[in-house]
Amino acid sequence: MRWRAVLALTVIALAAAPATAEIKSGSEFLSPEMRRQQADETRNPAWFWVEQGEELFSRKPQTGAACISCHAEPKQSLRGAATHYPQVDAASGKLLNLEGRIEQCRIERQKQPGFGYETPEMLAMTAYVASLSRGLPVEVKTDGAAKPYYEAGKAFFERRQGQLNLSCQQCHDGMVGQKLRGDTISYGAGTGYPAYRLEWNDVGSLHRRLRACSLGVRATQFDYGSPEYLALELFLAGRAKGLPVETPGIRR
Amino acid sequence: MPFNARITMPAEARAGDIIEIRVLTRHPMDRGGQSDGKGGTVPRMILNRLTATYSGEQVFRLDMNTGISANPFVSFTTRAVASGDIVFEWREDGGATYTRTARLVVT
Amino acid sequence: MSSPISPHSRRPEGLSRRAVVAGGVAAVGLAALPPRAQAEDLQPLAELIARITEGAVPKRGKITLDIPQLVENGNSVDVKITVESPMTEADHVRWIHLIADKNPFPDMARFHLGPRCGRAEVATTLRLAASQKVTAVAALSTGGYVVADGDVVVTLSACIDGG
Repeated sequence: MRWRAVLALTVIALAAAPATAEIKSGSEFLSPEMRRQQADETRNPAWFWVEQGEELFSRKPQTGAACISCHAEPKQSLRGAATHYPQVDAASGKLLNLEGRIEQCRIERQKQPGFGYETPEMLAMTAYVASLSRGLPVEVKTDGAAKPYYEAGKAFFERRQGQLNLSCQQCHDGMVGQKLRGDTISYGAGTGYPAYRLEWNDVGSLHRRLRACSLGVRATQFDYGSPEYLALELFLAGRAKGLPVETPGIRR
Repeated sequence: MPFNARITMPAEARAGDIIEIRVLTRHPMDRGGQSDGKGGTVPRMILNRLTATYSGEQVFRLDMNTGISANPFVSFTTRAVASGDIVFEWREDGGATYTRTARLVVT
Repeated sequence: MSSPISPHSRRPEGLSRRAVVAGGVAAVGLAALPPRAQAEDLQPLAELIARITEGAVPKRGKITLDIPQLVENGNSVDVKITVESPMTEADHVRWIHLIADKNPFPDMARFHLGPRCGRAEVATTLRLAASQKVTAVAALSTGGYVVADGDVVVTLSACIDGG
């Protein structure tokens, strides 16, 4: 009886091990040249998007005030803001990521038509706001009101899916550091997004990257900003707690 | 915002010094030829030339074809001769041009 | 469309229209003529070089091509070219031309330099369609050409947008 309990505990401990293992940023899996370029503003094209976002941030829309009129001195006032996303919106109880929060501000406060997910403007705004938290550790809340979303994201991460019948976990916990074609499998920390990907020749959101993951295992691709990807984003951010925000990142 | 450029170079140099100029450009450099979904192909739309003019003379020119990446990076050197603007001009397929200037103070 | 580099930078089409017609006529009733062998018949590198050096054979040495041997994505490949040259009015590098023989358009770029450059040292980011040899040819003001090349392996990434 006793050895059984010990065995059961060991099994639980082993099963829990990957979740508590040290997670590394995606940039750790890049070549040294690409890592250098990410940090180099004269080489990382994603800074063009940050620059565009900074400009949009101060531009007064046709109705309502410019972002900067509420968020004055954004370099101080919004420093660290992105580290808390995704988060549960107190008013609606819904999970919002940074894109969702920007869109909410734009529609509800500025009374403007939304930018729309993955538009150049939304990517620029998100990249700019996230870049203000560059170097600060991810600090999302995964308990309280966020718990059900976190659990949903965790279940999504662990569930086998698609024609290849793979879960996210099988690659991004079990085979990290190994090769998948020319890629090195990472943890999927997502701390560099929106990021400039060489494959895209462009800046894209984390959800664009997740859609490519879904397609890769021949599973259903969810919409940009879908509840499934939002929950997964929260789970990934929860795993990446303590890692610095790298936006705007460079990825393969 | 299809075009933007970031020019990195020293603001000051001594006469005779050789300075390095680094230019990062935002441009899709669309190589064309992909299907447009209507039976045709997407036309090529790249920056096909970058020139740098400094102190009355073209000091550098790069002719580009589809083998240059999207959002390209270019670096070259020039000898500091006199204080003045270095004028960068890009020419796009179709004839559009974009210009940026950077000032160099020569002591 | 004006090409700033060379009107000859396109690959030859392989079979001429006449050859296809003749072959098609000869092959009536048989399986269609496989055009593949001809389509992959690339213009040899030596020809691509000879075309820009007006037939001269460039010398090795004095030019360095710095390019990674293995790249994770062919969409943006760093390349740096340095030519040993005093870069004076009398003795300088006139231009540096980059060739990728397996790209759809092998002529990638030409850097035009002069004595005002001070040094013959340039860099850019290339787009490589496949693993191949990248060649840099430099034209010297004193006449003659120098050449350097490097083999690059381009790997495929996984989980791309298109699957």
